[in-house]
Amino acid sequence: MRWLDRLRMRLQMLFRRGREGRRLDAELEFHLEQQIAENRAAGMSAEEARYAALRSFGNPAAMRDEARESWSWNGLDRLGQDIRYATRQMLRAPGFAATAILTLALGIGANTAIFTLTHALLLSSLPVRDPGQLVRLAMDFHENEHSRNQPLSVPFMQYIQRRTQTMTGIFGWSTYDFVLADRGTSRGVRGAVVSGNTFESLGLHPAAGRLLEPADDQPGGGPDGWAAVISYRLWMEQYHGDASVVGRRVTVTDHGVTIVGVAPPRFEGMLVGEHPDLYLPVEFSAALNGNEATLHDPMANFLTAFARLKPGVTRAQAQAEARVVLPPMLQSLIPPEVLRTPQAHRVTLDVDSARTGWSTLRLEYTEPLLLLQGMVGLVLLICCANLSALLLARGSVRQQEFAIRGALGAGRGRLMRQLFVESLLLAMPGALLGILLAWLAGPWLAHGIHQQESQSYLNTRPDAAVLAITAGCACLCALLFGMAPAWAASRTSLEAALRSGGRRAGSSSAGARRVFVPLQVALSLTLVVAAALLGATVVRLRTENSGFRTQNVVFWYADFGRLIQQKGVDLVPVYRRLEQRMEEQPGVKAASVVSILPFYGWAHDGHFTTSGDAQHAATETLDINEVGAHYFDTVGARILAGRDLRNDDSDRNSCIVSQRAAALLFPNRPALAGTLHEVERNPENGAMVVRNCVVVGIAQDTKYDSVEEAVQPMVYFPITEQSRLVGLFLAIRAQSFDAASAAYRKALHEVAPTTPETDPATFGQLFSDSIAREQLLSALSGFFAALALLLSGIGIYGLVAWSVTQRTREIGVRMALGASRTRVFVLVVRQIAVLLAIGIAAGGAGAFFAARAVRSFLYEVQADNPLVFGGAALALVLIGLLAAMLPARRAVSIDPMEALRTE
Amino acid sequence: MGKPNDLVQGTLDLLILRTIAPEPMHGWAIAKRIQQISREVLQVQQGSLYPALHRLEQQGWIRARWAESETGRQAKFYSLTAAGRRQMEQETENWNRLSAAIDLVIEGA
Repeated sequence: MRWLDRLRMRLQMLFRRGREGRRLDAELEFHLEQQIAENRAAGMSAEEARYAALRSFGNPAAMRDEARESWSWNGLDRLGQDIRYATRQMLRAPGFAATAILTLALGIGANTAIFTLTHALLLSSLPVRDPGQLVRLAMDFHENEHSRNQPLSVPFMQYIQRRTQTMTGIFGWSTYDFVLADRGTSRGVRGAVVSGNTFESLGLHPAAGRLLEPADDQPGGGPDGWAAVISYRLWMEQYHGDASVVGRRVTVTDHGVTIVGVAPPRFEGMLVGEHPDLYLPVEFSAALNGNEATLHDPMANFLTAFARLKPGVTRAQAQAEARVVLPPMLQSLIPPEVLRTPQAHRVTLDVDSARTGWSTLRLEYTEPLLLLQGMVGLVLLICCANLSALLLARGSVRQQEFAIRGALGAGRGRLMRQLFVESLLLAMPGALLGILLAWLAGPWLAHGIHQQESQSYLNTRPDAAVLAITAGCACLCALLFGMAPAWAASRTSLEAALRSGGRRAGSSSAGARRVFVPLQVALSLTLVVAAALLGATVVRLRTENSGFRTQNVVFWYADFGRLIQQKGVDLVPVYRRLEQRMEEQPGVKAASVVSILPFYGWAHDGHFTTSGDAQHAATETLDINEVGAHYFDTVGARILAGRDLRNDDSDRNSCIVSQRAAALLFPNRPALAGTLHEVERNPENGAMVVRNCVVVGIAQDTKYDSVEEAVQPMVYFPITEQSRLVGLFLAIRAQSFDAASAAYRKALHEVAPTTPETDPATFGQLFSDSIAREQLLSALSGFFAALALLLSGIGIYGLVAWSVTQRTREIGVRMALGASRTRVFVLVVRQIAVLLAIGIAAGGAGAFFAARAVRSFLYEVQADNPLVFGGAALALVLIGLLAAMLPARRAVSIDPMEALRTE
Repeated sequence: MGKPNDLVQGTLDLLILRTIAPEPMHGWAIAKRIQQISREVLQVQQGSLYPALHRLEQQGWIRARWAESETGRQAKFYSLTAAGRRQMEQETENWNRLSAAIDLVIEGA
């Protein structure tokens, strides 16, 4: 029963190691005694016999180790030893351990925090069956960056479903805000309308009840009437996981709906960060709009379309098919006059992987996140360099200890391993603390990312995948910063270390330590230049003239949903009356109505021409804004020529154009009093409708989408047509925010008492939100650069302080021989100045690449701005010299007698 | 003077196994016995002997037991297990084949 013997041995070795160790000692001792006895028998004296036996015995400690080597679990045993030993080392120098752990916590925390975001937004797969098979279908009109990723219409999706050989289960998805009313309480919930086959195609299983099916996606609803699926989160929060919620009748935005089931727990929708709580069939959206036609209109593109690749089909094959399917699809579905437009010629149908779902946030934040990821990587490198230098310094102090351990038979490998375990023991608490920091910073970062979409929700808590990466990161760090000290320790020369008494040793590791200062300086300079460029961009954006006056201008969304539901309510007089009443309130300087808010990142456009034959003329596509009277006065933009719109029907056929639009539409003649034709296709019958208007004023150019972009030409229409008046904003400029709020409330309660109040948005807020990305990027990169500077400063301080300690005697001798304090000071600082110079030269090259990397985020700031480079270098030099100054002062105050006496 | 360390790897194991085959022995006695039988040619160093004994024990070829020695002191006696006996036979055979081959080469050269 050999295996039984072996098992018995193993267990014994695991659980009775102590006893086995004592037995080994006894065994060896017995051997020694036998030898002594033999020696005595051969005639030696007792003492002689003992020494002879010991001599022949060799090194008992080494032999003991070698015998133990053959035992099982030896690795574990040694690891235990190493950990015990490392813990003792750490406790002996708590200040050092705390510094190291804090440094690492900052470095690892920054990495974890940024990686959590990257993971949530870019990397994590959807919790559905075979997410790798999912693709997204989107139109690209190839006009600008906003014309990509366009949604599809229902007829398009049906057409593709009929023709495709490569994809199955095409489904559409559109985010929708609902009002969920249940047992007297009502609340707004974020939801989505989805095709009936969505859940089937995703391969999801309900947490309770059933999910939506194609039978539910019919005009007027399916067998259960309008069927809704709620999210697991809503189920838990509002219904406490009660299974009886299935079959419950609720009201969703004034329509009776039956909850038929609960979505699985981890499923948070196809659109990252949207997090819908209520799913209804696409047909329901037609019922909400009271317009079934939108579901049959091929031009009504409102569904983000997804599909599943058939087994064995690649995305490239599906893309090739999409190229073939698109032209006949357009031919058969799109009206001929639209087919003639340039967009119809340029448009493509793109098939992209949807393994990780889809998010518009990705368009904006992929590059910034990758950039930040790179930055935190550099910060971590600086941390590692710092720790490496710290450990090297400690290593030189501990050289005697290493020498003694070596003399007692510890191998080079054993010493190196010991040091790695010590590094790991520092890295692990550092990582834990870092995770805590990331955990705390997560919500703040997410808030920075979607200020504009305050309702969306990114999972910013580190999850298992993130934690695994962090742990890996910590191990890598330990390896990185432990390598140099371990190497130095393994090369310790026994005699030299023992003889020198540990004071003058370590000149070899001094060289290694000096490498770290230029490295840190170079990396810091890279980060500082990037941060400075991004910071300058934000400053530039903040001071950019957008054309608006921004003091005390407040906007409110006019939530007239209920009024619209009441048939026959004409909103035009409601708006006009509101405008008038708001202006009559105390403290209000001007008030108006507007359909497109400045910096709201949203616009709608129309096709314009000045040609008499509007039906067939080439058109210009311009942004349209509907405004009430005094709009320009309210937002502080000027009317350069002509007059403002009036708040009555006499201006039904008037419009105002912006400077840029005037130049574009009336290139060689005065725009004022000119006639403009807006050409629009009637969605019902495809006929072209022409709307004429006379230009009564020319307004100053203003920026609407964002401050960064070029001024867009814009046409302003008066609020005269009911069809265009859904969801306007009320605008007030007043003496103070409070005066504006009071005026809004008073006028609203008076004119439209059933309409709920909405949250105010100040001009400043809208503006901040519009540059949120740049601000986030600049704030974070600034923080990381400051961190890098701090770490470099600490690194330089450490090196100088250490070298002053090492050279105390030398300095003492120099001073005794007549060196002045200034000379000593220069001696100490010169050494660091050289390292700084090397670091800055290398950092200049790094900064050059950093500037290239951030170039796409800059606004009117030159990437090779010499001021930024020079300023950053100067900052580093100052910090470096400051850090060197403190220990240098100590060197200067060395008392020669004292220094020599300690010898 | 040849030492087992200089011999082919694993030879010491075979020597130990053969030595304790007739009766259980403690480490000191094993070293002495090998020395005697080899007419003082093979001197087993303690530094090799004890690690080898522990290795063999871990592998389940020999078994240790604490018993009273000739001098009345507690000592660790090693004896062969069944698996050890098989191992010994196999290694002996290997050894014989190897040494015969070496003989042939030396004779023929």
